[in-house]
Amino acid sequence: MAKVIGIITCNYTSKEKDFTSADRPIAAVPYVGRYRVIDFPMSNMVNAGIRTIGVIMPKNFRSLTDHLGAGKEWSLARKNGGLFILPGTAFGTARVGSRFLIRDLIQNRAMLERSSDGYVVFSSANIVFNADLNELVDAHIASGADITAYTKIANEDDADVVAFDAEDGVVKGMKYGVKEGELAFLDTFVVKRSLLLDMLDWYAANDHLDLIEAALTHGAPLTINTFMYDGYCAAIFNKMSYFRANMDMLDPELYAALFPSGRHVKTKTHDTPPAKNETGSKVTKSLVSAGCRIYGIVDGSVLSRNVIVEPGAVVTDSILMQGTVIKSGAVVDHAIIDRNNVIPAGTVLKGTAEDVLAKGKARD
Amino acid sequence: MSKKECVAMLLAGGQGSRLGVLTSDVAKPAVSFGGKFRIIDFPLSNCANSGIDTVGVLTQYRPYLLHSYIGTGEAWNLDERGGGVSILPPFATQTGGSWYAGTADAVTQNLGYLKQNDPEYVLILSGDQLYRMDYHDMLQCHKDNNADLTVAVMPVPWEEASRFGIMNCDDEGRILEFVEKPKEPKSNLASMGIYIFTADLLIKTLEEDAVDPNSSHDFGGDIIPKLLADGKRLFTYKFEGFWRDVGTISSYLETSMDLLGSEPAFDIFTNEFPIMSNSSTRPPAFYGPNAEVEDCLVDNGAQIFGKVTRSILAHDVFVGEGAVVEQAVLLPGARIEAGAKVVNAILGDKVVVEAGATLGSLDADTATVGNGDVVRKGE
Repeated sequence: MAKVIGIITCNYTSKEKDFTSADRPIAAVPYVGRYRVIDFPMSNMVNAGIRTIGVIMPKNFRSLTDHLGAGKEWSLARKNGGLFILPGTAFGTARVGSRFLIRDLIQNRAMLERSSDGYVVFSSANIVFNADLNELVDAHIASGADITAYTKIANEDDADVVAFDAEDGVVKGMKYGVKEGELAFLDTFVVKRSLLLDMLDWYAANDHLDLIEAALTHGAPLTINTFMYDGYCAAIFNKMSYFRANMDMLDPELYAALFPSGRHVKTKTHDTPPAKNETGSKVTKSLVSAGCRIYGIVDGSVLSRNVIVEPGAVVTDSILMQGTVIKSGAVVDHAIIDRNNVIPAGTVLKGTAEDVLAKGKARD
Repeated sequence: MSKKECVAMLLAGGQGSRLGVLTSDVAKPAVSFGGKFRIIDFPLSNCANSGIDTVGVLTQYRPYLLHSYIGTGEAWNLDERGGGVSILPPFATQTGGSWYAGTADAVTQNLGYLKQNDPEYVLILSGDQLYRMDYHDMLQCHKDNNADLTVAVMPVPWEEASRFGIMNCDDEGRILEFVEKPKEPKSNLASMGIYIFTADLLIKTLEEDAVDPNSSHDFGGDIIPKLLADGKRLFTYKFEGFWRDVGTISSYLETSMDLLGSEPAFDIFTNEFPIMSNSSTRPPAFYGPNAEVEDCLVDNGAQIFGKVTRSILAHDVFVGEGAVVEQAVLLPGARIEAGAKVVNAILGDKVVVEAGATLGSLDADTATVGNGDVVRKGE
């Protein structure tokens, strides 16, 4: 592969107060039990051979730095290159719009200047998919475009995903919010490093803009090619899209698409024993992480590590995060239970398929 | 060179020939155990949890997997500057080289490593035992007794005592006599093969043993009897917890089953003394719509569509629709295809049991299938 560095932007959280805990960046939200959303862009880059990755932090970065550590799990704890934790400029975490804020990049210009690599791949930390980024970079180099962006025909409306207006594979305009059948931008693109540095100079006066927006609307428009992706992808911006993206993984075909055997998704590992299914338990159509102890009934659900489902408890169509305890006889249905919650015996927590119940993080 | 209080020497070179196909291509300490561990995780985790940060791992038999698994030791927090894990295989010198000829010889050949670290005490460990022990307590016992050598012992049932190396002691725990497999045991305290030596004495004794033509260079057979004969201060350290040497297929299966049940004999779900491992990153285990899984340990990455009871499933194990698995240990990547039946069996890495095939029975000896082999229907 051509020499490439990666930048991941993490400055986005949910507009919904009850969706996991307020202020946690989406990048750090647990997904499919044992992962965090950021693992997917990180792993795409690392699996493509990228060994220098800068992660632009939101203000509330504790959970992210806890997860990423020195980057060891992604082979990024190294002498040359590796993981760079970069400061963002936004005060707080964006709830709308911009993913690739120009002033965030200007602030971290030094990393871009010090590199000798030819290209920079960008990803946000809201859209999960598993792709070979070498294909994107190769197509970009072959086409001679200024920027090449991953795109997909949207299966549904999504107010938070960027839509491109494109003709013959070249982007003519963009808007926030995509409708079914339109071209969705997967928040992942590649650009030549030297051009990126020029762009930061050209757009410095408009540093509140998103880089892609500026490229389309300011000065001489740049050529942005689309690169179609047809595998599984999920945009995670709010409670229901998060819930559906988890439930998708209970379909073996979608699971196989997001976790192909050749491109493992890397994440922080823990010393948890395997999950234990006790006598009398019943687990069906579910994903269960290591360290769980199941005595009761679990169906259609996704469980993070160290969850306990006591005898007589029933968990259906729900997401239980790390350390949750469902006491005897409790019923949890269509719910997202954030970490360390203890649901008392006999409690009934029910949401609906259209509006799942979300219970925020309990104290450690 | 900085002074270390205690350095561990972990004997991990054994073949474990009685484990049959399980060790046909890996050393015994590298054999998978309990769904996500390898046997060597236990002594390495004990070292880390006991605050011992300098561990020499003596390897010999089929060491590649063991070496790559241990790596820098980071999985056990043993990637320390000025210490950490050092892998010590046999090596050549200007006067030639030789294989490790016995447990004591393996350490003798690495006296250079010990002298370089210059510890006050040396902990000798076996890489093929399953237990949780705080070596710090044992070291304290060694110091309190002003001992030259402390041997960890555990009480075994009297009727089984003649299978072990038995320590006969006085009331203070001082060893009077060591008898290997006594016909009429006078004590039921069995040696666990875990020793703490005062370093200077160990070095001197090993140097003498090396030139003794009558020695077989074994800690139990030669070194302990010699120290007793010399009147040195040998004491026992009594251990009462769970400890197993999984030497045979049947003890491997039995010890695996000790992890199961509502009150397992060996509890691996404890945060206080965690067993650390160099684990893989796989997605959570997937359960199909018709899965029936009871009394099992299931690691990440397993996919289960059939019925599994009283079994241990390592990562990437696949159990197809309609398949039945009972009292089995399935090592990483084992694949039980639709409708197959596996009972009372241990399947190695990436074994495939083809659709509709049958393997094993509760009435027969435990069936074993070596890494990568295929069990076909009608075989």
